[in-house]
Amino acid sequence: MTAGNFAAAILTLAIFSFLYRENPFFRLAEHLLVGLSAGYFTVIAVQGTLVPKVLEPLQAGDWWVVVPFILIILILGRLTEKTRPASRIPLALIIGAGAGVAVPALLQARILVQLSATMKPLNSAANIFILVGVITTLVYFFFSREHKGWWGKLATIGTWYLMIFFGATFGNTVMSRISLLIGRLEFLFGDFLGLIK
Amino acid sequence: MRLPRRAFAFLAVFAAVTFPLLHPLNISDRVSPEAVKFKALIDSIPAGSVVMVSFDHEASTVAEVRPLATVLARHLFSRDVKIIGLSLFAEGTAIGNQVLSLVAEEYGKKYGQDWVFLGFRPQFQAAILGMGESITNVFPRDYYGKTTSELPLLKEVFNYSQIALVVSVADGDLGYAWVDYAYTRYHARVSAMLTAVMVASYMPLYASGQLSGLVNGLKGAADYERLLDKPGAAIRSMDAQSMAHAVILLLILGGNAAYWWGRKK
Repeated sequence: MTAGNFAAAILTLAIFSFLYRENPFFRLAEHLLVGLSAGYFTVIAVQGTLVPKVLEPLQAGDWWVVVPFILIILILGRLTEKTRPASRIPLALIIGAGAGVAVPALLQARILVQLSATMKPLNSAANIFILVGVITTLVYFFFSREHKGWWGKLATIGTWYLMIFFGATFGNTVMSRISLLIGRLEFLFGDFLGLIK
Repeated sequence: MRLPRRAFAFLAVFAAVTFPLLHPLNISDRVSPEAVKFKALIDSIPAGSVVMVSFDHEASTVAEVRPLATVLARHLFSRDVKIIGLSLFAEGTAIGNQVLSLVAEEYGKKYGQDWVFLGFRPQFQAAILGMGESITNVFPRDYYGKTTSELPLLKEVFNYSQIALVVSVADGDLGYAWVDYAYTRYHARVSAMLTAVMVASYMPLYASGQLSGLVNGLKGAADYERLLDKPGAAIRSMDAQSMAHAVILLLILGGNAAYWWGRKK
């Protein structure tokens, strides 16, 4: 057994101890996770971005990288009240550019293509099921008209579609969370205790 | 010391998961159509082609994403397909590199020639769009600090035009980003291997054809292992998964029955 495996097993048990009640072992493991994650992100950011994207180009005489680097420094202006307004410049740039790039892409991928996927020949039960689902769910989210009469019945069908979606999502969530538990127990019984061959 | 009532539910799930791990039952063998289609998609890629695998996940979901990524890497390397690995989520970087290194060693693949790992790049929008123009501009150095333009694999591959398929191994929304920017803008073929919790949200993209393939969590990884006839961690875990589901179903039914019984009284 390696020291790494031993530490990982102890920390896993410390986290599991929360199932009984909150305790100092759980808090210690939680704080370690936060601290290590922050340290890991810092190293990745410096090694993977600042060095190859800022320092190396500067050493090679590419002075244009000074412009984004100044913007990075301005973001740090948020840390004090006096310099906070300066941080709005890079933030505005990020939000503006981000929205400009995202809007046409999302309009195409999430709305236009998805809309066209519902406009299929009604020659199969699946196609009819999808069309009815899209229309009735949209009716459910149309709040300018009271959900009464035939309009209300359509909205109720939409509710059923939503319930099916929530049920499927919850079922998958359970599967996902159990997978995480399996991963940890496999580690404890396999790598740590050597009981799984 | 009196145990809280919910502790019995935890113990029941613990027992349901532990027993099949220690004594395999082999009760799950049905393969999902999504896994069959995904395998066919990989089989359709000619040997020598390049597939980009993006590790877009946190470390906390490693139990689900590692079997997915491992079975994919095994399938690709077994068919002599080359891999460009990267991560758009910092925590996925070390895991992605570890998976590709281990599987490459298993298949005797050479770094720089058969596979590369580019590492992490922040700002996923800029990274995905940038690679549509030039991969080496976005990643001037790889995970090991080597100059990417000098790696033999990246001398042949400039952008998505030379990539047969992009696979996002994701536990969140980053798979959407590949569709939004790489597929929509550059017509790159995109597919996703997802944690189960995300699958329902991605289904519309799969149904509309924007995602050319989709694999569903640990169950999908187990299906894939069965299709490749290479039993691994995922198949072993599926018995535990099935038993845990049975216990949870019993707990739900028991809880509801107790509720109705109490109301009736």
